Amino acid sequence: MLRTFLSSLLTMFYILAPYVAVAAREASDPVDGWNRHFKVWLVVSAVIYLVVTIPLVYFVIRYKRRSKNEEGAYIEGNVGLEILWTVIPLVVTILLGTQSWALFNDYRKTPKDAFEARVIASMYKFEMISPEGIHTTNELRVPVGHVKLTMTSTDVTHDFAVPTFRVREDTVPGQTTHLWFNAKTPGTYPAYCAEFCGSGHSRMLAKVIVMPKEEYAKWARENSAGEAANIAPEEKGKKLTENLGCTGCHTITGESATGPTFKGLMGSSVTLIDGKTLTADDAFIKTKIKDPKSMQVKGFDLPMPPNNLSDAEIEAITAYLKTLR
Amino acid sequence: MSKEPTGFKSWLFTTDHKKIGIMYLFTSMVFFVVGLLLAIVMRTEMLDQTRQVIIDAKLYNVAFTIHGAAMVLFWMIPILLGFFANYLIPLMIGAHDVAFPRLNALAYWLYVGAGLIAVCALILPGRLDIGWTGYPPYSIVGGANTAFYVFAVHLLGASSIAGAVNFITTIITLRAPGMTWGRLNLTVWGLFGAFIIQLVGIPVLAAAVTLLLFDKYLGTSFYDSFKGGNPILYEHLFWFYGHPAVYVVALPVFGIVSDIISTFARKKIYGYTSMVIAIMIITVLGFETWVHHLYVAGTLDWVRVLFMWGTILIAVPTGIKVFNWLATLHKGSIELTAPMLYALGFISLFTIGGVTGIANGLLGFDIHVHDTHWVVAHFHYVLALSMSMLCLGGIYYWFPKFTGKMYNDGLAKFAFWLTLIGAMIAFLPQFQLGYDGIPRRYWKLPVEYTTHMRIASIFSYIAILGFFLTIYNFIHSAIKGAPAPANPWGSRSLEWQIPSPPPFYNFDEIPVITEGPYEYGKPK
Repeated sequence: MLRTFLSSLLTMFYILAPYVAVAAREASDPVDGWNRHFKVWLVVSAVIYLVVTIPLVYFVIRYKRRSKNEEGAYIEGNVGLEILWTVIPLVVTILLGTQSWALFNDYRKTPKDAFEARVIASMYKFEMISPEGIHTTNELRVPVGHVKLTMTSTDVTHDFAVPTFRVREDTVPGQTTHLWFNAKTPGTYPAYCAEFCGSGHSRMLAKVIVMPKEEYAKWARENSAGEAANIAPEEKGKKLTENLGCTGCHTITGESATGPTFKGLMGSSVTLIDGKTLTADDAFIKTKIKDPKSMQVKGFDLPMPPNNLSDAEIEAITAYLKTLR
Repeated sequence: MSKEPTGFKSWLFTTDHKKIGIMYLFTSMVFFVVGLLLAIVMRTEMLDQTRQVIIDAKLYNVAFTIHGAAMVLFWMIPILLGFFANYLIPLMIGAHDVAFPRLNALAYWLYVGAGLIAVCALILPGRLDIGWTGYPPYSIVGGANTAFYVFAVHLLGASSIAGAVNFITTIITLRAPGMTWGRLNLTVWGLFGAFIIQLVGIPVLAAAVTLLLFDKYLGTSFYDSFKGGNPILYEHLFWFYGHPAVYVVALPVFGIVSDIISTFARKKIYGYTSMVIAIMIITVLGFETWVHHLYVAGTLDWVRVLFMWGTILIAVPTGIKVFNWLATLHKGSIELTAPMLYALGFISLFTIGGVTGIANGLLGFDIHVHDTHWVVAHFHYVLALSMSMLCLGGIYYWFPKFTGKMYNDGLAKFAFWLTLIGAMIAFLPQFQLGYDGIPRRYWKLPVEYTTHMRIASIFSYIAILGFFLTIYNFIHSAIKGAPAPANPWGSRSLEWQIPSPPPFYNFDEIPVITEGPYEYGKPK
């Protein structure tokens, strides 16, 4: 009894060891883990296939019916064998599962030094926003190293898949999902939408461009500096409200739509649903954009959809709203 | 006992389980052909990856939507739970008919109604292009007439629930004296498990699509994140039934394989009790797997891990079944008839589908192959190749029983090999695409996969030719086949102990059962 107990304890330890080991350390590159996992699976599967088909073919030849009324041997079964082919597959399954669990931990444990960009999917394009606030379409530029993507969608469910990095995650409207990968080598890698999203699904392709660190820094400087020099914050804010679809609900003509109009909003006094009245100043606008569910304005029952705007972008939008008197 | 009515009206108004079974067979065959024709259309479109061959992206989406729905909902489930269940359960348990014959007829006609709506969804404007899964928000904001989908599922669901109630009652209450639970055919056990899944799962699916209908046409927001709903909710509700639906197909198939193997090996099923336990474990465990369809849908991490265990543990009872089949063959007296070829082919192909299914179930593995051609190849190995083909094998096996004629053996075997080789190679290249992470449901793939897709297309044509030859064989033999004896296989199972085709009301007198269906080679 004690021996059985101790040996099952030991087995449990062996089975859970890889999982526990991963839980304790920094995540390693899921690509290596995935390739290893695939090889283990392939060997196990090949063995299973042979274990099934070799006896199958052998029995069919060996026990071919020789006379018309011949019958097989009368055997009811064997409890020992039943236990054997329950326990062995169970152990194999648990071993595979534990390895997969450990690998999954790598997938979900974003390294702390990760470069963080955002992806906003819509029918049928991916909009990428770099940490510097540079917007690109269907082209994600990242420096070599760990990359974390925070993703959402504006219309239907899409999926951002980068096969080279063995990773994918759905982009769900109104929710954020995330993934990370290790962009080891500079180069251009294909990305796909991998959740059926309509007639443009197969055209919804993108590229991940991994650049050496200095090159990326140069690119980021040129693009954001160019923007700062040539475009005033008001202009940038205008572009943002159009690109992000804000103007779909907030008109600039003075009529109310799904949301309050932008025209004359700055400095006006607004009444909230709880009856409070306050002035729409910079602080109000910024809080409202950051947390759309707060301070619901009276007369408008739908809260604003969540967004991923950076502080600089919110600043730009506020500046733009000031021009709409 | 009344005389058997004949003529057209006797079919239209029948409540006889055998006639209803035959009508299920015909109708589901029609949808099988529809599914195959759509497969030909899609495979032809895949011949060239640079330009449109015959249909545009929108119609391609319609094609795979209706192909999936026709094959799973209108062919696989009705052939098993409609035809096989109707025809065989009363014969195997020794009953005159099912418990509720009129409910049985209603279930069939509801299924026909659902089928008509499905045909409308294919040809009328607002064609369904939402995938057979119908995920919102696309099914709500897209241009498809989602009502087709919802009402087809409603009618089909009502039909399935009626069938499930009917057959569960029949199996529990109408067994002949001496027909103990331990003497039931494994086909009956498999169907019993499948009907339990139907009864538990279908109401959830019906609720899910009803909310879809409200969202689309009444402006509610169950699945709209921007108005306080959640589109992922639908995926959970859909797959709560949608995944166990695979076991609805698999369990009766496992049963039929057991019956065929036992008959043609003339040997008692090895480990009958563990076979039954395995069926029941799958029935229950099948409901602990659905989140593997949402492995990359932003699901909570620990929920993904939990459901990974549920998913891959299914491999254990499934393995028990495979090993018991092998043990049944050991020391048997094996005859390689057409049904036996299908059953043995099933074991070999199902093993490929099974091990690639473990791969999909493994959470870390799946993150790379989710929604890729890997999945397409996997479920075609499991459903199209092993289970759909086994249904044809099952029809061959009981063909002498329900027609009273013998099928053309040479043509049956030729068509079997054609389908086997064609389909086997057709789906292999897709594993490569999946390994490379190429998403499915793409109208056009990256051009480097042109050759892969051409190989797949050519061999799929060969497989489909095999399917059509099989169907031709059924029709031709049913009309012109040689008369069959009551028990051409020398089976010990109850349904073979009565004339072929069985008389009206099956048994003159309810038989008293003294031993199980698999007692071959028993020492006297």
